[in-house]
Amino acid sequence: MISRVDPEFKQELHKYGLREWNECFHCGNCTAICPLTKDDNLFPRRGIRLAQMGLKKQLVSSVDPWLCYYCGECTETCPRNANPGELMMVLRRYLTSCYDWTGISRLFYTRKIWELAAIILIALGVIISFLVFLPPSPDLFSKPQAFINEQGGVMINSLANGISASRFVQLIEYGDLLMAILVAGFLISNIFHMFYRVILSDRNLKFPFYSYFTEFWSLIYNFVTQARFSKCDNRTYWIGHLLVMTGYTIMFTLIVAFLKEFQIEEIKPWYHWQRLLGYYSTFGILFFLIYTFIGRIRKTDLKMQFSHPSDWMFIVLLFFTAVTGILIHIFRVSGLPAATYFTYLIHLAFLVPMIVIEVPFSKWSHLAYRPFAVYFDRLRRAGQNRQSIVELTPAI
Amino acid sequence: MSEYDRIGIIFCDPPSGYTPVDLSDLIIFVRDNLKIPVIIDQPRYLFSDFHVLMETIRHHRLTSVILAGIRPERFRQIVRTAMTKLGYQAESVVIADFGDTWCVYESQVQNVYELLERVHSQVVDKRHQSSHIQQDTIVIGAGIAGIQASLEIANAGLKVYLIEKSGTIGGHMAKFDKTFPTLDCAACILTPKMVEVGQHPLIELMTCSEVVAVNGTPGHYKVTVRQSPRWVDVKSCIGCGTCSEKCPVKVSSEFDEGTTMRKAIYMPFPQAVPNKYLIDGEACRFIQEGKCGVCVKVCPVTGCINLYEVPREIEIEAGNIIVANGFKPFQASRIDRFGYGKYPNVLTSLEFERLINAAGPTGGEITFRTTDKKGNSVFVNDSGKPQKIGIIHCVGSRDENFNPYCSKVCCMYSLKLAHLVREKLPSAEIFEYFIDMRAFGKGYEEFYCRIQDEGVRMIRGKTARVDQIDGHLHLRTEDIIAGRMLEQDMDMIILSIGLEPADDQKKLSDILGIDVDEYGWFKAVRYEIDPVRTNRPGIWIAGVCQGPKDIPDSVVQASAAAAGVLQSIMSDRLTDSEVFPLTYMIN
Repeated sequence: MISRVDPEFKQELHKYGLREWNECFHCGNCTAICPLTKDDNLFPRRGIRLAQMGLKKQLVSSVDPWLCYYCGECTETCPRNANPGELMMVLRRYLTSCYDWTGISRLFYTRKIWELAAIILIALGVIISFLVFLPPSPDLFSKPQAFINEQGGVMINSLANGISASRFVQLIEYGDLLMAILVAGFLISNIFHMFYRVILSDRNLKFPFYSYFTEFWSLIYNFVTQARFSKCDNRTYWIGHLLVMTGYTIMFTLIVAFLKEFQIEEIKPWYHWQRLLGYYSTFGILFFLIYTFIGRIRKTDLKMQFSHPSDWMFIVLLFFTAVTGILIHIFRVSGLPAATYFTYLIHLAFLVPMIVIEVPFSKWSHLAYRPFAVYFDRLRRAGQNRQSIVELTPAI
Repeated sequence: MSEYDRIGIIFCDPPSGYTPVDLSDLIIFVRDNLKIPVIIDQPRYLFSDFHVLMETIRHHRLTSVILAGIRPERFRQIVRTAMTKLGYQAESVVIADFGDTWCVYESQVQNVYELLERVHSQVVDKRHQSSHIQQDTIVIGAGIAGIQASLEIANAGLKVYLIEKSGTIGGHMAKFDKTFPTLDCAACILTPKMVEVGQHPLIELMTCSEVVAVNGTPGHYKVTVRQSPRWVDVKSCIGCGTCSEKCPVKVSSEFDEGTTMRKAIYMPFPQAVPNKYLIDGEACRFIQEGKCGVCVKVCPVTGCINLYEVPREIEIEAGNIIVANGFKPFQASRIDRFGYGKYPNVLTSLEFERLINAAGPTGGEITFRTTDKKGNSVFVNDSGKPQKIGIIHCVGSRDENFNPYCSKVCCMYSLKLAHLVREKLPSAEIFEYFIDMRAFGKGYEEFYCRIQDEGVRMIRGKTARVDQIDGHLHLRTEDIIAGRMLEQDMDMIILSIGLEPADDQKKLSDILGIDVDEYGWFKAVRYEIDPVRTNRPGIWIAGVCQGPKDIPDSVVQASAAAAGVLQSIMSDRLTDSEVFPLTYMIN
């Protein structure tokens, strides 16, 4: 196997938030202290070595960075203050941009102004098309009672001018569908690209075909439970992460797949399963947001010490989406149709860019990459092909 | 000052880029106040023509030159050459550096006047100063470096006061079983030297003593030594040991690193020098509570044990001081993930050194550490033999969280310990976990290869943690060369602890007025070419107190320090650059 060494690779990684890295003298403390390493899974040290040597091909074909959940123990005990945990974070950003075949992710990660511009552009597009297709009814201010149903709540689907409730939901659903197709198209093709780089491009890797099915459970299991994360020392972080992941997934499923059942005119009693799920998601997302906001500002927790612009972008967008979502609910229940309409508009202006930008191209994509990495890792192990591992092992 | 002994001042032209300054006020000041000749350099005049310079100096009949101006250092060499050619010492050229900014600020002018006065008076003083140097030497610390330095000087026929804090000389070396790489018995090399010190007529050994103050000037130090009571008279004690036998108090032994117990009245170890008993004031019941006094009753020599002895202060005059106060081993419990202090069979290298020593707690048998009925950790002979022993290198060294420096000796002593284990337990599996193997000295690399050949497994990778699981010590290491994670169960772990500056290092540096480096080791002014000289003339450093080093290096440095002392005494002066700095700056 020919290995290409790129001495300039360090400069490239700097754009993804790399700090110290030449400090490392390869003592192996980080790998040994990590509660997740086993046998030949030698992160973070092997990743540092590959990065130091600029072995990009090997880096992209390794899933190690995704197997790390950044508990920070390696950084804490590193004898050289080389911060291996942060390097894993940087490599995850780098890998995200590598998996993305369009190059958009690379652009967003390395030039923050582009990400911001894209977000603003999409937000403006959402606002304009919403106002064009679903303009506000002139009666919103003059006759607000007309939009109140018998429970005293706002009929959310009747706020647009001259558009029936069913048509309103349908139009939103079309938008949802378009967004889902776009996002899924990019994300799935990126995952396939990852699959190609990790599994297919390694010619030495041979494992029985049935492994694809027998190992598939690990993908589902790890996605739902994030079991590996729980092995890290800090359980609070895992729980917060689990909450936000489930909350977010539930919300996403509700608004994309079940919009007709979810966004209805009548207001269900508080114990209705839809509302309970909504409350759970809200709690999960808010808990996580507060935890990370405090962490990233105080910087006492090692894993939140260095924040890349993309980290902030994600939690800020999620924050505004969550806040406007809660406001919609409050305004609806309090019977304020005009406020509901405009908050709904703003909510979409935050929600759509968050999903379109973050899910396939930026931080959110790890939701998919992490379980897939575990899956691919198990596939590689199923092959028990030592040779490829020996090749990955850097020379000392 | 004779008529022919003349000091002159040369004002140098400022370097290019500096505005020339009006010197007329300064010249008047020098003429009126200092009454010495003033030579003003013109650009490309004095220092560009060696002949002109020689002629100028000869014309003014100068025997000493003060080079003044902005960065006059540039011309030091040429003036020195001229002065030596004229038959004067190189040290007769003195720099008065005005600094970079004096011409910019009017307020600096007064400082320049002060500087010139200071330099002038120093130069004049130097001529009047008696150069006679006090011949006695004080050596602080009686480890191998202190012992070596004392013997070198005393054997040259000069008086040495050897000041030791503990009750015996010998230091850390006395605790070691073997030395690397020759595997000589440490005690066999050290004890003859210790005895020689103890019997030398020119060495005055002061145990239980500490330096508390240093006054006086280089060559004439007045050192105050505080001698804590031993409570046993060194002269009359016959070393029979009856007192120790009857003493009811038991505490853990410092010499055996806590692996054995000793009494409150004790001899540190059988070969101690002076080979006399002493009382541990903190443990003794009589001294703490006023009860007991058994030792006095059983002592066959009347008046030998005096439990009412008080500390006393002695003042010693000495020309030179050699500091050789050694080091402190790294405290392994500071790294809690290695479980030292938590798991009984995680040992420090020094503890293991005592364990494996024939004079140690088990007579040299390697056994497990267990807890006895009273709750003390002890090594007992019938507790079985460890079959898997791991040696973890770089504990507390090469670690930014503790000491970033390499402690230099750990790799080698770890190899030595591995060899000793191999000798005593031929069937045991021995593992060394290292980051880099630093076998740098003569015969060291060969020693490393020899230990490898003996079947000791070398694993490149820093052990991250040790946990006790089911009575085994479970450790996690990345085997970097094999490219896999190692999770092994060991019976015994040895932590190769690094070296740290001694606890009293900072205090000592304040008392002596010598510099320490960023880690707290004493600083040699120019380590590369003069590793024993400190910033204070007449104070020398030797051994580990200057930085981690092994026994041969410590001995070499001690001899070098002794050579410096002897040179100053034989020539009857400290080198000019010491008593008399050659560069002065504006304060």
